[in-house]
Amino acid sequence: MSEFALDAQGIGISFGGLKAVQDFSMRVPAGGLYGLIGPNGAGKTTAFNLLTGVYSPQSGQVHVAGQRTDTLRPHEIAKAGLSRTFQNIRLMGELSVLDNVLLASHMRGRHSIWRTILRTPRFVAQELAMKRRAMEVLNVFALDRLADEQAKGLPYGDQRRLEICRALATEPKVLLLDEPAAGMNPSEKKTLAKSIQRVREMFNVTILLIEHDMGLVMDICEKITVLDHGVTIAVGTPAEIQANPKVIEAYLGEPGEAATSPAQDAGGAA
Amino acid sequence: MADFFQTLIATIAVGSLYALVALGYTLVYGILKFINFAHSDIFVLGAWTTFAGSTVFLTKFGYEPEQSPWWLGVCVLLLAIFVCGLTGYLIERFAYRPLRKAPRLNVLITAIGVSLLLQNVGQLPGLALVRGPERVVTKPADQLTDREKSTNPEIAGDTATIREPGEALATLPFGSSPKRAPTILPDAVLNETVVASGTSKGGAKRGVIVLDQAIELVPDRGYRLEIARTIDGQPRRESLNLAVEPGKYEAGVELATQPRRNPADLDGARYTLVRDPLVPIRLLDVLIVASSLVLMAGLQVLVFRTKLGSAMRAVSFNVDTASLMGINVNFVISFTFVLGTALAAAAAFLYAMKYPSLQQPASGVWVLLGLKAFVAAVVGGIGNVRGAVLGGFLIAGIEFFGARYISTELRDVYVFGLLIVVLLVRPNGLLGSAVREKV
Amino acid sequence: MKPLAEHIRAITPREAFRPVVMFVPWIVCVLVALGMHTLAPLVVDDYWVNVLRRIGVFIVAAVSLNIVNGFTGQFSMGHAGFMAIGAYIGGGVTYYGSLMLHGSVGDPSFQTHGVLLMLGGVAAAGCVAAGAGYVVGLPSLRLRGDYLAIVTLGFGEIIRVLLELTTKQLYTREEVTLGALFKLPLNGPTGFERIPGYASVFWIFLFASITCLIAYRVKQSSSGRAFLSIREDEIAARAMGVNLTKYKVRAFVLAAFFGGVAGALYAHTGVNPSPTDAGFQRSFDIIIMVVLGGLGSISGSVLAAIILIALPELLRDLQQYRLIVYALLLIIMMLVRPQGLFGVREIWDFFGKKNRPTSKEESNP
Repeated sequence: MSEFALDAQGIGISFGGLKAVQDFSMRVPAGGLYGLIGPNGAGKTTAFNLLTGVYSPQSGQVHVAGQRTDTLRPHEIAKAGLSRTFQNIRLMGELSVLDNVLLASHMRGRHSIWRTILRTPRFVAQELAMKRRAMEVLNVFALDRLADEQAKGLPYGDQRRLEICRALATEPKVLLLDEPAAGMNPSEKKTLAKSIQRVREMFNVTILLIEHDMGLVMDICEKITVLDHGVTIAVGTPAEIQANPKVIEAYLGEPGEAATSPAQDAGGAA
Repeated sequence: MADFFQTLIATIAVGSLYALVALGYTLVYGILKFINFAHSDIFVLGAWTTFAGSTVFLTKFGYEPEQSPWWLGVCVLLLAIFVCGLTGYLIERFAYRPLRKAPRLNVLITAIGVSLLLQNVGQLPGLALVRGPERVVTKPADQLTDREKSTNPEIAGDTATIREPGEALATLPFGSSPKRAPTILPDAVLNETVVASGTSKGGAKRGVIVLDQAIELVPDRGYRLEIARTIDGQPRRESLNLAVEPGKYEAGVELATQPRRNPADLDGARYTLVRDPLVPIRLLDVLIVASSLVLMAGLQVLVFRTKLGSAMRAVSFNVDTASLMGINVNFVISFTFVLGTALAAAAAFLYAMKYPSLQQPASGVWVLLGLKAFVAAVVGGIGNVRGAVLGGFLIAGIEFFGARYISTELRDVYVFGLLIVVLLVRPNGLLGSAVREKV
Repeated sequence: MKPLAEHIRAITPREAFRPVVMFVPWIVCVLVALGMHTLAPLVVDDYWVNVLRRIGVFIVAAVSLNIVNGFTGQFSMGHAGFMAIGAYIGGGVTYYGSLMLHGSVGDPSFQTHGVLLMLGGVAAAGCVAAGAGYVVGLPSLRLRGDYLAIVTLGFGEIIRVLLELTTKQLYTREEVTLGALFKLPLNGPTGFERIPGYASVFWIFLFASITCLIAYRVKQSSSGRAFLSIREDEIAARAMGVNLTKYKVRAFVLAAFFGGVAGALYAHTGVNPSPTDAGFQRSFDIIIMVVLGGLGSISGSVLAAIILIALPELLRDLQQYRLIVYALLLIIMMLVRPQGLFGVREIWDFFGKKNRPTSKEESNP
């Protein structure tokens, strides 16, 4: 039994000859807010895909809240309490905002086909409860007034927020956010940072975040892991990471070759 | 054993046709990532164009199919390729190109629509391209029926002459009745043995030859007499089957031919006694396999050895990147499409030579045939050129050997059974490689 | 924030018990069927009553196919196979049931029992077809898009071939025993003749409206959202905890069940079900209805079924152009309005508030 909400030990995968992620380990205590950074192609999203079961790890183990998950299928991992957002937004475009969130609370209920057809009191109660909860979740990001809009019709920033709402509606113990601030302007980013911290408290959830915006990561994350070419090159607090020569080298290339700061580089490459 | 080899030959001949059609599916799939459902209808178009083209030529110039000049086959083949290629280009340009960014399901549905369209336009009653000889009926003028009167008969005195246009031999569109395509490629059994040849010495009865030498007929083999004689100064060749028991026959013995209503007088005719081979190898099959192999090899060279081929592979890998690299994506896609349809047209031409009875264009027989070729492409690994060839032979093999040794009626079941098994075991086909979806 | 379980506990039984929602739609179904049954003969002649019966059958077929093709986005092209299974099972139950119980088929004095036999046959047909749907649904877990389309197309063809191979006669009263039925005396390629036309307008439209009601209830539920999410994005659906296996198979089983029901009803409309009814041409007919109506729209499927069956009857002189027109409709639809007439919405969504992809049937808090 592990006391960590998310505990990944030595997971890795290669595609063909390419070792996309090797020996990736990460321990996030319950209630933690950790960051995962690295240059483009470092394997951050692949690491998320390994954690959530999109790819099965070829080595290592993952535990979510003490339950082993690396052998489970994606929907079972979601049920175990690991939820995520996607870097390239993957909403159910044709469905309404509300339906997107309702879908996510789906696995916390029971869905007998007979009760669905007969509309029994139990079914009605469950649908009603799902709807109420979904509206509460949408309310956190002020999306409740858009509940009946088609998801694909939302502005970009709202779509990102809706992804977070949807992930939260699964009642996760651990929330993985893949570049939640991508494409947002500075003031939106500030609001997002606040929302992330608020969500952590409201939903009592552990958060792991991939982000290219160094300002955001350094501001809100307690601990940061840096990946480069699939290998973990540094782990530490924001201050330690900023001072780590290996990290600077990974972002700047060979010493003396380029002259951009990590923050600028990342901002441009998002 | 003879059965086995005969089945094997059929497998190779039909397998190479399946492979040609499968190549069309695979080329389009490789580049556009959808099943071109209309491909089987292009094949049908090719077969019917072959029929119409050769019929028109033979009728206009008054040839019998057997005496057709050697270049006619080439011309009809080119005609089929042109018609199918043009149709393929139009389909790609107007039905598929606007949907290039649309979900694959929409393209699939469009393809079904195009397929239905081709089938049903193809079987509309058409305008005659050529007609048989005019029919002339002469009868007393007072016995004309109302229908006959409406055709403006020429009335001279008491007799009326009714001229009716001849039967339409080939129409465009092709109409809804089955037709028989003339075989314009040379055909013969290559490995038959000549047992004896000589001149019939003249017998008492018609339909009988009298040997001028001793021969031996072995059991379980078919024998055929090739007769050459002169009737009214015209040389005439015909081939008759023998109706005698196996055994040894001395010179001067009478050999009876298969009885028929009006037996020929064989007195003094030149005869050649031919023994059917155990496993007949037909020239047509050899031509089919040879031309298929040439086309496949050509395709292989085109795809892997030429600049256009590497452009095709680049587009198949990633359309957007390819266009950034300066490749004219529209041209490459159209070209691939036309190439696929041209292969289908060639296969259809050869098919019409081997199986000349053509079903009407909307017949389910064609759809099944196209499906089998598609299954071949999937089994081999769709998008993979070598896989399509492998799949073609595999599907033909399972179909013909299954039909020969298990049950003929279940032949379609084997094919789809194989498809399901292969897809469950190797979802990307035998030679296909897995494609990961980017998350 | 409270988890869902607590929200459910907070709902009182009074809130959850809604008799109007539970029962009234069923009554409406019966009323629709009764209404059609009494009105139809008054308004149109016998020929059109028959057309009406065919429309009803194809409403069931199209709506059921919509569950798998429209809601779930798994493109099945073998629906006619399920229909044919249903037609032969339903027809078989009525035909051989009548023979064994009464000694003859289609005797007017046996009418009431005959109709009961038909209802039993419809149920059996649905269940057997659902079983077949389970078997066909399994490969759908590994196959996507076009591959699945081909496999299901192959399934329909296999059913056709197998039906052609059944014993080439229909047994008479003397020949028929329970054991003899295992030889599947279904008359081979000729088709199953002499099934009495028990499926009146009432029965057909009862089943049609029940099918629509059930499909609509499924659509407006968690299962329905799970179906739609699979169609929209499988990877995101999985990440949100949707068990793809379960829901894909569930969609196939549901669709096949009602496909079987449609087939059994079809067999009792005075036609002669034959193996070609399992072939792809029939499957294409149903697909066209679903696509034109809108993938995911139940009312769209209903409307498309009505139009596509009634229209050729009205334009009988143009019979040979029927399929050409369909084909052009399909292509133009994909180019101009790829989502079909109504897309995923229902017809009434266009009259109510705008931008409501799914109207809330009954559970507005």
